[in-house]
Amino acid sequence: MQNLKIAVTKGRLLDESLTLFEKMGLDCKPVRNPGRRLIHQIPNYPLQVVMAKAPDVITYVEHGVCSMGIVGKDTILEQGNSFYEVLDLGFGACRFALAVMDGFDFYGDYKKRRVATKYPNVARSYFLSKGIDVSVIKIEGSVEIAPLLGLSDGIVDIVQTGGTLKANGLSVIEDIRRISARLIVNTAAMKLYKPEIFGFIEKCRASLA
Amino acid sequence: MEIYKVNTPEGTRDRLFAECVEKRYVQHAMISLFEKRGYSEVITPEVEYYDLFVKAQNPLPQESMLKLVDCEGRLLVLRPDCTTPIARVAATRLKDFPFPQRLYYNQNIFRANGLDTGSDSDITQCGIELIGAPGLRGDVEAIAMAIDALCSAGAEKFHIELGHVDFFTGLASGLGIGKKRKDALRNCIESKNFAMLEDLIGSISGGEADCLRKLPYLFGGAEVLEEAFSLTDNEVARSAVKYLSTIYRELDTAGRGKYVRFDLGLVQSIDYYSGLVYRGFMEGAGTVVLAGGRYDNLIGGFGLPLPSTGFAVYVDSLISCLPPVEITPLETLVHYEPGMLSEALDLLDSLPKGTAELSPCTSFNETMALAREKGLKQILAVSENGITEAKLDAKP
Repeated sequence: MQNLKIAVTKGRLLDESLTLFEKMGLDCKPVRNPGRRLIHQIPNYPLQVVMAKAPDVITYVEHGVCSMGIVGKDTILEQGNSFYEVLDLGFGACRFALAVMDGFDFYGDYKKRRVATKYPNVARSYFLSKGIDVSVIKIEGSVEIAPLLGLSDGIVDIVQTGGTLKANGLSVIEDIRRISARLIVNTAAMKLYKPEIFGFIEKCRASLA
Repeated sequence: MEIYKVNTPEGTRDRLFAECVEKRYVQHAMISLFEKRGYSEVITPEVEYYDLFVKAQNPLPQESMLKLVDCEGRLLVLRPDCTTPIARVAATRLKDFPFPQRLYYNQNIFRANGLDTGSDSDITQCGIELIGAPGLRGDVEAIAMAIDALCSAGAEKFHIELGHVDFFTGLASGLGIGKKRKDALRNCIESKNFAMLEDLIGSISGGEADCLRKLPYLFGGAEVLEEAFSLTDNEVARSAVKYLSTIYRELDTAGRGKYVRFDLGLVQSIDYYSGLVYRGFMEGAGTVVLAGGRYDNLIGGFGLPLPSTGFAVYVDSLISCLPPVEITPLETLVHYEPGMLSEALDLLDSLPKGTAELSPCTSFNETMALAREKGLKQILAVSENGITEAKLDAKP
């Protein structure tokens, strides 16, 4: 059987992915105690786990150097997709939302709105779909600061509990879409290693149910 | 700016020595095959009017084309695709010739990719267009050509995957849903997004819906066709499957069945293609090495409806899966006495290609020093007395 590589997003998704793998019967000890190594062989399954940052998971899968990947739908929406998105893993659940300072009327003016976000493509296409012209400002860190400083009228960001928003006097005025972790597969690998990849997908699906 | 003196533009590179040998070898192998089978070369301009690619219902987004402005202010693009210009040629320059016409090309296309994606912006494509050849015989010839082209280049572990746009369109029109939902459905199948597909089809029941649910799984060997056939009563979809079976039988009889696979969820660019679509996959490449299909409506856009099919091989992707070539190392420096140039050149021509070069030095000692520096095995000195050989020891 072909020994496949799966790129897994570091951080919270890694932890939940490993829990899933363990439910599937995979021995994840080497990945649980990684030291400084970034690639680990699963001892009892033909699979190597590559730990990577979310956007890099997509890059590795698109280039085919990893056959599969686990990444949030947020990153997929932002980066575009030329791969197969085969499974909604359910975990890592949150949502994209539009938030403004408490009491602010985002649509109450004829002036062009400014929106700060870490996800400029998501923000742009959302407002495009509503037929609203906004200018999007890319922010790398805590986006909540932008409206507080008067840089933007609102933010588009991932919201989980809403705690950070609340603490900074912001509130959600629109939900944009739900997000969760996805299993993605390189298009060529799917065709070349169908039994191996479908075997893995079915195992995942069975453990999720 | 200083860095622009040393860097090549995003997505481009210099190719040296073995890279050129590999590329020319693969191109030469495929071109000789095309010519043997009666295909003639066309070279279209590197730049074309932007309008050409917009009018031709081309699915290329405008941001993926590299643009220039000509001296009259008209918008030009660097050739983003080989087939559309050839369609133009067929409908204009070739319109009074008898069809089918068999054409091949070996040229670069240019694409604007995002920054730092590692994708090439100049992509070499070597392919054929079989113009004015409708139906089964045209499709079978094109697929056989695709298989033989990859074999001729030395490829072994590859397969050509066939799909048919009617399978999806037949099923989707049986659902009675609008264009917007149909497009969403197509996107799900294209990206094998099982979860979202389920959400979209959701409450719809009936044969077509059940079959669409399974569509992302319907890929693999010829057994997929039987499965697909048994899954639906839809006439359009069924006749697409029958057609694929017939093609498979023809190719199998011709000894090429082992290279053929199917994916009924191959729904990319179905507005552009009109029947059979195909792609080539090869072990070692993360992307397709070949892509093509039937485009019966494209040339009609230029005023002459001609059913046609064709494919392009992505030469660089193909090469990345082939074993590297060994290039012949340089071994000999040819030194010559005054007046002996002609004899020295004759000697060079008689030696195996790439193994010898001429010394630019007038004194034999300088030639010796140069040969040592280059790490060569021998010097052949040409004088009036003939050729003398001087072996060099391995580097101290």
